[in-house]
Amino acid sequence: MLNKLLKHEFKATARLLIPLYLILLAFTIMDRIVLNLNIFKGVLSIIPGLITFGYVISIIAVIMVTFILMIMRFYKNLMTDEGYLMFTLPVKSHQLINSKLLVSIMWTVASVLAVIASIFVVAAAPEDIREITQGLKYFWEELNKEFGGKVLLLIIEFIIIVILVLINSMLMIYVSIAVGQLFNGHKLIGAFAAYIGITTVLQIVMSIFIFIASPIFEETLTTFSSIPNLVFPITIFILIGLNVAFYWVTDYIFKKKLNLE
Amino acid sequence: MSAILECKSLTKKFSNFTALSNVNLTLERGRIIGLLGPNGSGKTTLIKLINGLLVPNSGSLLINGKLPGTETKKIVSYLPEKTYLPEWMRVSETIEFFEDFYADFDRKKAYEMMERLHLDSKKRLKTLSKGTKEKVQLILVMSRKADLYCLDEPIGGVDPAARDYILNTIISNYNENATVLISTHLISDIEKVLDDVVFLKEGFVTMQSSVDDIRSKDGKSVDTLFREVFRC
Repeated sequence: MLNKLLKHEFKATARLLIPLYLILLAFTIMDRIVLNLNIFKGVLSIIPGLITFGYVISIIAVIMVTFILMIMRFYKNLMTDEGYLMFTLPVKSHQLINSKLLVSIMWTVASVLAVIASIFVVAAAPEDIREITQGLKYFWEELNKEFGGKVLLLIIEFIIIVILVLINSMLMIYVSIAVGQLFNGHKLIGAFAAYIGITTVLQIVMSIFIFIASPIFEETLTTFSSIPNLVFPITIFILIGLNVAFYWVTDYIFKKKLNLE
Repeated sequence: MSAILECKSLTKKFSNFTALSNVNLTLERGRIIGLLGPNGSGKTTLIKLINGLLVPNSGSLLINGKLPGTETKKIVSYLPEKTYLPEWMRVSETIEFFEDFYADFDRKKAYEMMERLHLDSKKRLKTLSKGTKEKVQLILVMSRKADLYCLDEPIGGVDPAARDYILNTIISNYNENATVLISTHLISDIEKVLDDVVFLKEGFVTMQSSVDDIRSKDGKSVDTLFREVFRC
């Protein structure tokens, strides 16, 4: 059943994002062409400027729309009248969350990759590619120098953190929306309040944690090796804990405290 | 076979009031049952409990001997009083959606009914009127071969001509072992199709009886009886 949910989730979101990607593609190609032509003179010289402006707007639009659409989709599809359809399907509530989460992460990654690829197409000349690969090589050597045999571990940990942060940012919004719908008639305000509440609590807790932990780790934190050995593992541990908590609360509210109007 | 629905001392409270109080109710298979009561009597709450959209505070509710969950959702076909289909979808896409998720959905039947009511399946829902959307929803719900149909105010928004067709659809399109639970306050319109009635008043079941009994014992129509019982 998760497959079917994913299929329909993909369909419902692709219909808005694919056209946006096509617009980005069109501006990318146009911008690449006009920036390499030196034929615009006089009044016409405004054309490259306009196209570049449109290009920048389309980049911003891809990122913003991806983000807003993922949130709106979750809210509209599950918490408004459409929720009557979704929550009476013969699926588990956690499958609903999974389908939304997986598709959101997929689109976020796709949008970021699309923007990066597009910037390359517009701005990169062959010699830039060479420079970038050289830069990366230098970066890699420096990393090796500082971290010795721990580089691979460091990179794996870093990738795990990026994925967990992505999941975390989505689940934090989901749990806020789920908590918000408990407030009759003020569901959106409730969701915003819940989000602000959660971020505030997290910040306070983190500050206290750092305040307490820093004297303990003072010595170990002065070396680079403490990053793969201590800082990243602790970060991963905290992120997993938060994700499990957000996920569990969202699912619990959907199962026991659903409050569709 | 066990009863299709069994409620025992079912109670549902909201923060400021009790929507259902100690409801004991058994619905048999193969019946068309009217769930009747004035606004705010707990009809929708009961139907939401059956469909797992709400969880009771106390008491139990069993569908085909099971607690509401994935298994019961496979055999319950639910028409809420809301227009719950995504607006951007075409009618044909909603049919695909139902076909994907409900094993008991009969696509052929759905298209037949669409044609009969002159609905264009290529149209997007946002271009349809509220009444037409309700028709689409009812067709989807009745195109399932379910054991229990829960129809919450199914005829409220549609015109009388379509109303007759829809009622005929309801009585002619369900199998012998299926039960149809219809909540409404438009009693006179549906009285002729009902086998049983359940009266709900302020969260209590005040009466459960067959329509024949009401007619023979009280010598009244359900509509008349309803007006007497719920006189303001």
